[in-house]
Amino acid sequence: MMVNIRVNGKQYKKDIEPRLLLVNFLRDELNLTGTHIGCDTSNCGACTVLMDGKSVKSCTVLAMQANNHEITTIEHEDPELDAIKDAYVEEQGLQCGFCTPGMIIESFYLLKNAGDKEVDDDYIKKNLRGNLCRCTGYRSIIDSIKKANKNIKEREEIHVSR
Amino acid sequence: MYLDRFVNGTGQYIDDLKFPNMLYMSVVRSPYAHARIKTVSGGLNALEIKGFYNMKNDDNAEPIFAIDEVRYVGQPVAAVFSENRYESEDLIEGVDVDYEPINDAVTTIEASLKSKPIFGLKNNILSTTETGKTFDESEVKYDIKVKDTIDIGRVLANPMETRGIIADYRNGVLHIYVSSQSIHRLKNYFVKSLSQFGISEKNIVVHHVDTGGAFGLKAAMYPEYIAACYASMKYKKPVKWIETRTEHINSAHGGRGIRADITVYAKNDGEITGLDGDVYIDNGAYYVDTASDDLGNVIHLMTGPYKIEKAHLYGHYVLTNKSLNGWYRGAGKPEAGIVMERMIDLLADKLNMDMAEIRLKNAIDAPFKSPLGLEFKTPAKSLLEDALKYFDYEKKAKEKNVGIALFMLDQDAAPGETCRLIVKGGIIHVYFGGDVHGQGHELFARSILNKELGVEEDKVILELPDTEILKEGVGTWGSRSAIIHGSALIKAAELLRKDAIKKFGKYDKDILLNNEFDELYYYKVDYNEYTPNFNMVTSDPHDPDSIKIYSYYDIGKKLNEKNIMGQIEGGAIQAISEVLCETIRYSEDGQVLTTNITDSGLLTADKIPEFHTKLVENPSGFTDMAKGVAESPSTGIPIALARSIEVQLKTRINKFPIDRLELFNRVL
Repeated sequence: MMVNIRVNGKQYKKDIEPRLLLVNFLRDELNLTGTHIGCDTSNCGACTVLMDGKSVKSCTVLAMQANNHEITTIEHEDPELDAIKDAYVEEQGLQCGFCTPGMIIESFYLLKNAGDKEVDDDYIKKNLRGNLCRCTGYRSIIDSIKKANKNIKEREEIHVSR
Repeated sequence: MYLDRFVNGTGQYIDDLKFPNMLYMSVVRSPYAHARIKTVSGGLNALEIKGFYNMKNDDNAEPIFAIDEVRYVGQPVAAVFSENRYESEDLIEGVDVDYEPINDAVTTIEASLKSKPIFGLKNNILSTTETGKTFDESEVKYDIKVKDTIDIGRVLANPMETRGIIADYRNGVLHIYVSSQSIHRLKNYFVKSLSQFGISEKNIVVHHVDTGGAFGLKAAMYPEYIAACYASMKYKKPVKWIETRTEHINSAHGGRGIRADITVYAKNDGEITGLDGDVYIDNGAYYVDTASDDLGNVIHLMTGPYKIEKAHLYGHYVLTNKSLNGWYRGAGKPEAGIVMERMIDLLADKLNMDMAEIRLKNAIDAPFKSPLGLEFKTPAKSLLEDALKYFDYEKKAKEKNVGIALFMLDQDAAPGETCRLIVKGGIIHVYFGGDVHGQGHELFARSILNKELGVEEDKVILELPDTEILKEGVGTWGSRSAIIHGSALIKAAELLRKDAIKKFGKYDKDILLNNEFDELYYYKVDYNEYTPNFNMVTSDPHDPDSIKIYSYYDIGKKLNEKNIMGQIEGGAIQAISEVLCETIRYSEDGQVLTTNITDSGLLTADKIPEFHTKLVENPSGFTDMAKGVAESPSTGIPIALARSIEVQLKTRINKFPIDRLELFNRVL
């Protein structure tokens, strides 16, 4: 079947098998291999992407369900996403790196949707429960997200003052 | 640098690699824990490959594909191939296997010891080994003896990236790309396992790729790897196998799985005079070489930091209808510490002694040759005194929620490690013999070369080696990465400097970077380093946010503090889950009840503890002066956490995981 899926701002029209999972569409059809497969059972979150701005586990979404929707992956170019990536590097919020793209996309999501809530340990922990990491013990990931939040906020303030 | 590559999603993990005409392999696996195979038709199976993979060809070696019998759920029976990933899984349905189930499976050490022989031996013990000298009770001075059985359940590595391989036979050479801790160790296995198919050492090249965690799992050999290699040679196409998480849970080799029946002899003042007993390892269904490291570590290290004059242990390899034993973070070292410390706490309770006092009484205060055969050069008593004081144990102990742990960290320094430095195009390309899978080798490679050679850190790149560019190498495991790779790197950097002076009359970084150099150094070491370390844990078993971890670790020299903290924090969460809930569960008839990675017991971000860490720097004798760290949390934290829970519940804890849902508010 034909699908039209917008990925990271670019429109893709592809003829796919109805059973094709979104994660395989991204990895195999579009060669966007930053999104990883950790468990196939929507437990680990390594495959987390955004669909119309909402975080989903792409190993349990069919590509055809994404037809006419917009997907955001780790390969997306965005200053806020870059700020999060920088914070992960500075805080060493990763070791083997396999869960990292999913973690960063989830971080992007939870920072964007914090609203009036304070981005503290509790808020981050609660919103990160769908993403497993076997290496870091999460401490450095939480610190990375806090740092990213601070950096993004500071940059926004600079923009406003200008 | 790896950090940039990984945050941008541009890492090249094994499943990210694609070759033209590549076939995907899917594996047909046994649904039974024990059954006879009457017939098998379809796919690649034992009718074509009637061979073994684990370098031992006797009745208890595991075949590549099951021959006439299956012994565990998940055992490979056949493989199917397609250029389409989904289609290769569909083809599994087309393989017809006629099983005759045998209803005698054993899935625990106890059940196996009680059962009639079911593996063709006189009993279900594959073999028995021992350490120390046997002694008679009359030869030991004691007032009291305490006995207990400590059970430590199976724990699976469960790295976020499962196992995976691409075998690519091209132009008469088999290129193997594999998610690995040691391409050199694997090459050795490949050479021995593939010789039966007519390929020799000189035609096998193993390539390291970005590796998404390993924890011991990815230093071992597996039947699927050999099947993929065979298929690539047969079909003359690249063959990729990526393990699903379900396959991982059913079939990947599992660590821990120990039962220890121990007796400790002591005087009334708390002095331990003897220790003996039997240790059993859950070996799984076939011979596996990793088990001798796991069990060996338990029965050599058990007396650890204590001055015990007499000790003797039997170690038994017990066959069960489960996937095979494998390594998991610490590989027997945590088990040794857990058993010893559980016994010493039991003794303290019987003698009504304080847990710190009894450890101080027995801790070695001078170099000591242990009765189990190890030589400890670094005394443990002074470190224990310092740690207790640093964390104000005396005051905290009054809260009656404290557990402590003293242990010897065994760092697998021997036999050393290789490092090759190639300077080309203004960059120093670093190749290490041990393959990084999350330890951040590149961080210390950059800082060490910056210090040793004066080059900017961004002129240093850690490359992924293969067995051609680096002919020899050892591996990344056993708390050895920083100590042994750092030292090899410093020595290789010395060669670079000398070479530059020889060729150009003097050294400076521009001379180095503007020219081409190629140096190889094998840093040889013939001993392991043993370092005493300490943990304390406080908790409230009814409050999920209550766990506080106190670590007092001698790390020799800090190469990168954030990196060290990451190892401690990561080890801590694994340690907590091992105590509370993490294991692979089986029904009595051998079905795997754990269905996914969450069921395995891995903890999420909301379960992290509070950390109080003191890093002590007593330099090691290695060139970079570092000591290991990664297996310390795996050893010390389970011990101290179990004790912290025990003193509050007033219930003896001798089984891991504790598996009581009421603990920590049922949140785990």
